[in-house]
Amino acid sequence: MTRYLLGQLLSFVVTLWAVLTLVFVGVRVLPGDAATVIGGIDTTPAQVQAIRRSLGLDRSLPQQYASYWSGLVRGDLGTSLRQHRSVDAILLQRLPVTATLAGLAFLLSLALGTALGLLAGLRPGGVADRAALALTTLGLALPEFWFGFLLILVFAVRVQWFPVVGLPSGGVLAAFPGFVLPAVTLALPRAAQIARLTRARVLDELGADYVRTARGKGATAAITGRHVAANALPGVLPLLALELGGLLTGTIVVEQVFGIPGLGLAILDAIGARDYPVVQGVAILAVTIYVLVNWLADLAQLLADPRLRVS
Amino acid sequence: MTRLRIGLVLAVLVVGATLLGPVLTPYDPIAPDYTAIYSPPSAAHPLGTDDLGRDVLARSLAGGRVSLTVALSATALALCLGVAVGITSAGLGGLGDTVLVRVFDAVLAFPGFLLVLLVVTILGGGALQTVLAMGVAGAPIYFRLARSFTRSELRTDYVLAGEALGATRTRLLWRHALPNFAGAIWVQAASTAATFLLVEASLSYLGLGVPLPTPSWGNVLQDARSYLTQQPWAALGPGFFLAAASLAFQFLSDGLRDRLDRRR
Repeated sequence: MTRYLLGQLLSFVVTLWAVLTLVFVGVRVLPGDAATVIGGIDTTPAQVQAIRRSLGLDRSLPQQYASYWSGLVRGDLGTSLRQHRSVDAILLQRLPVTATLAGLAFLLSLALGTALGLLAGLRPGGVADRAALALTTLGLALPEFWFGFLLILVFAVRVQWFPVVGLPSGGVLAAFPGFVLPAVTLALPRAAQIARLTRARVLDELGADYVRTARGKGATAAITGRHVAANALPGVLPLLALELGGLLTGTIVVEQVFGIPGLGLAILDAIGARDYPVVQGVAILAVTIYVLVNWLADLAQLLADPRLRVS
Repeated sequence: MTRLRIGLVLAVLVVGATLLGPVLTPYDPIAPDYTAIYSPPSAAHPLGTDDLGRDVLARSLAGGRVSLTVALSATALALCLGVAVGITSAGLGGLGDTVLVRVFDAVLAFPGFLLVLLVVTILGGGALQTVLAMGVAGAPIYFRLARSFTRSELRTDYVLAGEALGATRTRLLWRHALPNFAGAIWVQAASTAATFLLVEASLSYLGLGVPLPTPSWGNVLQDARSYLTQQPWAALGPGFFLAAASLAFQFLSDGLRDRLDRRR
C-alpha cells in the first residue's frame, strides 16, 4: 500500500514536471517577440534590446528554463506585458470568480447526474431513464455554449430573472444571480456524462450475485438500491475528477458567452493582446490543478473502494 | 443495429445537405442583402436571415461544409498519427517504447481544450491550424488503443506461426495485427469526429478557429451571439445542423461498437 502510494506520488511529480515543461516550450515558440509587443511598432532596436534584457529573453534557453522553475517554486509567475502588474495578482483576482462558477457547476452536475443515473439504472425504461437518455443525447450533441444561448433567451430575455451578461456589482451575494445561468450551462452536459456512466455502473451491479442473494433474502428495493449505489458510485470518481479538473479550463467558452470576468476571459484577452506571461500563468495554474485533481481522485477511489486496496 | 442505421441515415442527410447546399438554396452565404435583415422564418427564408440579411439556411449549409471538413480531417490526422506511432512503439518495445509512452502520457495529462487552445495560439488561427491542433490533441487516444491491441496481438499463436514461417515484423504488424483491431479504431474515430465538431465550434466561436468571412458552424454562432436577442433564429439554425451532425457520428460510433461486441 505504502509502496503503491509512493509510486503514485512519483508519477504525479513526473507528470507535473512534463506538463509544466511543455508549457515552457509552448510559450517560447509563440509567434511574435514579446519585446516588440510591449514597445509597439515604433520601438528602436536599442529599446527592444533593453526590454528583452529586462524580461530575461536575451539569456540562453537553459538559463531561461532554470529561472522559469525558480519562479514556479517561489510562486512568482512574472509580470503582465499589458497590465503592469504581477501575473500572480491577476490570477488571484480571477481565480475566485472561476472557482465559484466551476464549484457551482460541479455540485449541480454531481447532484443531477448521480440522481438521474441512479434512478435510470435502478428502473431501466422508466421516466428517469428516458429523461436521462434525452439529456445525455443532447448533452453529447451540442457545444455547451449553445445551451447558454437557450438559457439566455428564456431566463434572461423572456422572463428576465438573470442578467444577460456580466456579474452584478456590489459584493458576492449581489453577484450570485450572474453565476446561475453559466453554472447551469456548464452543468448540463457534464450531468449528462455522469448520468450515463452511473447508469451503466448501476446496471452492471444489478447483475451481480450479491444483489440476487439480497433479493432472495427479502431485502427491500431501497436496501438493495443502497448497496448497489455504494458499489457503483466509486467507479464514477475518475470521471468526476476529469470533470472537476477540466472545469477550470472548461469555463473558458462559457465565461465568454456570459461575460464572466474569470480565468477564461483572462487567458482569452491575453491571447488576443499577446500578453504571454498571463497566457503562461493561466496555463500553469490550470494544468497544475488538473493534474493534482486527477491524482487525488485516484487516491479517493482507493479510499472509497476497499477492493482496490488489496492488490 | 438500429443505432447504426439512424447514424448512417443522419450522416448521409447532413453531409448530403451541406454538399448540395448551393443547389438547395439560391442565396449566397456571404453576400449581404440589406432588404431582408432579421427576417423571421418564411417560405423564402426557411430559417430566417441574420443581421446582414443573409439566409441562415445557406450559411448553416456552407458552414457545415467547412466544419465537417475540419473535424473529419482532424480525426483522420489524429487516427493516422496515433495508430502509426502506436503500432511502431509496440513493435519496437524497450526504451523507444517507454519514451513514446511517456510523451503521449504527458500530452494526455493536459486538459484537452486548453491544449487545443494553446496550439492554435502558437500556430495562429485558421482552418488548417485548427486541424493540426485537434489532430495532435486527439492522437494519444489512438496511440494507446493501437499500442495495447498490437501488444496483445503480438502474443498470439498466429504471430508465432508467422515468425516461424519467416514473415517480417513489419508485415506481421501492419498486414496481420492491424486488421484485427481496425474495428475498435473505427468506433473511436466516429466518436472523435463527433467531439471534434463541438471543439471546432467552440474554437471558432472564440474567434480562434476558422476565421470569418468563411462561415463555419462555430463562427456563425459567434456572429449570432452578438444579436441573439434580436434574431434567435440565427443561432438556432446552425445549432440544429451541428447537433444533427455530431449525433450522427455518435450514433455511428455506438452502433459500430454494438455490432463489434455481438460478433465477439
